[in-house]
Amino acid sequence: MKKRNETLLKWLNEGSETLDQEMMESLEGDYLAGDEKQETAVTKKDESSRFHMIIRSAYIRISTAFSVVLCIALIAILMYTVMDMPYFGNADTLVESEVSEFYIEHTLEHTGAVNVISGIILNFRGFDTLGEAHVLFIAVCSVMILLHIHPTEHGAHLMAYEYDDASEEPHDDDILLTGVRVLFPLIVMFGIYIILNGNLSPGGGFSGGAVIGAGLILYLSVYGYIRTRRFFTMRTFRILTTIALISYTCSKTFHFVTGANDIKAMIGIGTPGTIFSGGLLLPLNIFVGLVVACTMYALFTMFRKGDF
Amino acid sequence: MLEWIRFGTFTALIAAALILETMAVFGVNRFKYSLNRIHASAIGDTLAVMCVSFAAILYTGFSFLAVKFAFVILLVWLTSPMSGHLISLLVFRTDNNLDKEVKLWKN
Repeated sequence: MKKRNETLLKWLNEGSETLDQEMMESLEGDYLAGDEKQETAVTKKDESSRFHMIIRSAYIRISTAFSVVLCIALIAILMYTVMDMPYFGNADTLVESEVSEFYIEHTLEHTGAVNVISGIILNFRGFDTLGEAHVLFIAVCSVMILLHIHPTEHGAHLMAYEYDDASEEPHDDDILLTGVRVLFPLIVMFGIYIILNGNLSPGGGFSGGAVIGAGLILYLSVYGYIRTRRFFTMRTFRILTTIALISYTCSKTFHFVTGANDIKAMIGIGTPGTIFSGGLLLPLNIFVGLVVACTMYALFTMFRKGDF
Repeated sequence: MLEWIRFGTFTALIAAALILETMAVFGVNRFKYSLNRIHASAIGDTLAVMCVSFAAILYTGFSFLAVKFAFVILLVWLTSPMSGHLISLLVFRTDNNLDKEVKLWKN
């Protein structure tokens, strides 16, 4: 078992070609031997583990009941909130109130963003966007909990099979390879343009990040894991998303604290229409774009093979 | 006079694009075999789009917008043949009745 993992890890770290037939066979035998050992161990331990089994089943039942109660309570709270909302088509509803007019008229003077939507979602409703970015992050986290294959224990054997078709990549197709070599930089450049121009023209962090993520997915499905692992691994994903989320939170908190306490803003609005206008809109767009791009790529890799 | 020439070219391009796109739509929906349908859709994807974009460039005059339209043509002409090539490759590799649809070269 241990020897198998060591060989596999060595092979993975070297990032070389596929496992050769001999190696695979030895791994196979090793794996089966490990299984048998485990089975005998279970039969020996059977009587002593009965107590643990009882506790375990009780724990599962209690946790299930608790989660059901929690869900019902959450549903009840949400239904109660919905009952408080105004009726559809009522003249006094929030949609008909002056909020939208205020946004259209005063966004430029308050935030310095020519693109009103960007001003609203990143400035007036900055914490809402922070929540959205975290929702994406949590989605990736839960997908990883379910689908990520670790290069240890059981995972190593799975990986040996999963990674084997990495040898088929890049696909032997000159038209595809050349086309993607031309297209990939253009797609990424376009995504960066959308992100950087978010406070001036339609677009912003979410759409630009989606474009970059799609470009990365295209590159991965054409050139394969060995090429993408040179610049995008689990480590890159972790570092990028963490830095982006933390910086977003910090800058937004700074913004709100200074705004609420009448402290003079250090970062001014700037001249509307230039790229460095709108205070913190540009960095916020970049952070959101990073999170979205990483999320899209991570979701794709998780669903495809279970690792970067 | 120059204005009229521009207008005429613009109209001719739009008309050509309309005719090509109609052909493409009919072909995609009426042809029996998949490779024929790919051919029809490729006409609509490349030539018709190019005609419309050239017409738009002529209509707006040569400005920054025209450069954007040129980029649209470039991108569509890069991606559409690529996807057509890949789809036809898929058909070639997976279709069991390919002998009935096309005449294959034996080498």
